[in-house]
Amino acid sequence: MDKSLKISSSRLFNAIYIEEEAFEYPITKEIIKSHPNSPIIKIRHYKDLFNRPKQNFGIQKHNQSLILAVKENNFLYKGPEVCQNFGHANFYYTSFLLNCIFDCEYCYLQGMYPSANLVAFVNTEHYKSAIKDAASNEPIFLAASYDTDLIAFHNVIPYMDYFYDFFKANTDIVAEVRTKSGNQSFYRCHEPLENIIIAFTLSPQDIINKFERHTPSLETRIKAIRTAISQGYKIRICLDPIFINPETDSLYEPFFRYIFEKINPDDIWDLGYGFFRMSRDFFKRIETKNNSWLFAQDYSHYNDVVSYPLEIQNEIKSKHIDIISKYIEKERIFAL
Amino acid sequence: MIYIITALMLEASPIIGYFKLKRDMTINSYPVFVNKEIALIVSGIGKVKSAMAATFLISKYRLTGSDVLVNIGFCGAQAGKYPLGTLLLINKVTDWDTGKDYYPDVYIGDDLPKESVACCSKPVGDNGNQYEGNLFDMESAGIMEAAYKFFNTQQIAIIKIVSDFLTPENLDKQVLRSYINTNIPILERILNELKQLNSMVTSLNFEDEKKLISLISQNLRLTSAMKQILETEVRNAKRKGLKTVETLESHLESKANTKLEGKKIFGQIIKDIKQQTF
Repeated sequence: MDKSLKISSSRLFNAIYIEEEAFEYPITKEIIKSHPNSPIIKIRHYKDLFNRPKQNFGIQKHNQSLILAVKENNFLYKGPEVCQNFGHANFYYTSFLLNCIFDCEYCYLQGMYPSANLVAFVNTEHYKSAIKDAASNEPIFLAASYDTDLIAFHNVIPYMDYFYDFFKANTDIVAEVRTKSGNQSFYRCHEPLENIIIAFTLSPQDIINKFERHTPSLETRIKAIRTAISQGYKIRICLDPIFINPETDSLYEPFFRYIFEKINPDDIWDLGYGFFRMSRDFFKRIETKNNSWLFAQDYSHYNDVVSYPLEIQNEIKSKHIDIISKYIEKERIFAL
Repeated sequence: MIYIITALMLEASPIIGYFKLKRDMTINSYPVFVNKEIALIVSGIGKVKSAMAATFLISKYRLTGSDVLVNIGFCGAQAGKYPLGTLLLINKVTDWDTGKDYYPDVYIGDDLPKESVACCSKPVGDNGNQYEGNLFDMESAGIMEAAYKFFNTQQIAIIKIVSDFLTPENLDKQVLRSYINTNIPILERILNELKQLNSMVTSLNFEDEKKLISLISQNLRLTSAMKQILETEVRNAKRKGLKTVETLESHLESKANTKLEGKKIFGQIIKDIKQQTF
């Protein structure tokens, strides 16, 4: 799809679908108040809409609707092996929000969900109980912004505001909030917490231009990082996904140097590094409907994960880590 | 192609006239009217008839990703919210018999009112209070059931025009016809927006390659599995922006007398396509 598919321009959301059960929650009331021009459609269950057959991900992505729903169960999941646990044994992730406002060409969500519409769960208290239960015996590492970008969505639903006091009170939970956003309001409005890590995904600007549609520029993300650092937040840099391709290989070395010219490596908590990879099932689903160059490359499969051949990964990784470790000691670098 | 379903000839005739549709005399089971871009069928009243007619019409043509299915018809409304003759775009259809909900994705008619409709098996009159909602019709659930099978959710449009305030017994045909006529410019705009939206969903144009692969497969006596592999490789090469037609054409003259020979040449073609990609 090479043209803009945006049809409606006067509203943030094409429509707002609300589960019958969700109407009484404060988040729902706030959304209805703040989006008076969006059609409101009452639904029985979000899956009736979200899991419909034959939805066009591309068109929906450009004309996203918001679905407000009450999550019934499975409030958190064990962290998958394709994701980094940053040394934490008890790794969980949770999704208050399904899908993302950004449109990254490489994103696995296109293979994971049948719809590009956003589902926002409004029963945050149930999440808090479930997270607290999981952390009752031993500390947990919780990825709170995996299948989405909570900071980018902050101006629509400020989930991080709603969970701030909870994380403050529950220090056994280390929460990672991954983002590509330049939105600084959360860092400016809240004191940093020991157990909240803001994880910024960074890519060379050419990669952002090519694959990360509607995301902020590298410069904007660096500005947000500097603000978060100045406010005292723990910052994780995620150099993930790295692409291996003759066209892009040369971008990375200057990119790594550039990051550490702009950000003092001593201000970074740690750094994640990983290649483009995806579950084989998701890859297959995307491959059949996506004409992207990215999904036409030759990849290797191992343990049901599609990525680059291991020997090439190792070669590139060692080259990259050599450069990165000039700035940040290897103990703080987590590479998959 | 735009497939239009109306329940009544009364709803269809202004559309037939405006778009200069001609009766397709080869079809006897239903009144079907066509031009180059539009095929309109008159289904009769009720959701079973509308589902049957939609399926019948669709089966007459070879569907593409840019086709759209449109239901245009009257609906009853609770008095108060919309004046008679108002055109509404439907974003939710509830089958009142089964309780099942259907959701067409509505990206068109930014300025037009959007509403839910309840699809009932009988005309809704002064018994309207037993139903939740504003609008009532008798066909939309049938159309949606058929549409979910054959179309993507953004290829479907349910368009309703308010005919009465739940007084279905007092309808005047002339007045009803005027409601459709008045809304024809909006209708035309909606159809254009639908067409434009769905034409943007560009799929990879693979027709030339498909023809060549078919010829090569015959010449080389390839198995279905080998043909499939060849298609996948060529498709991938095309997505990378490579000249797939030329590579395939260079193998067009190759012939195989045995499967073994075919297999050898097949290996060479795959190699050529892959080599080209690096």
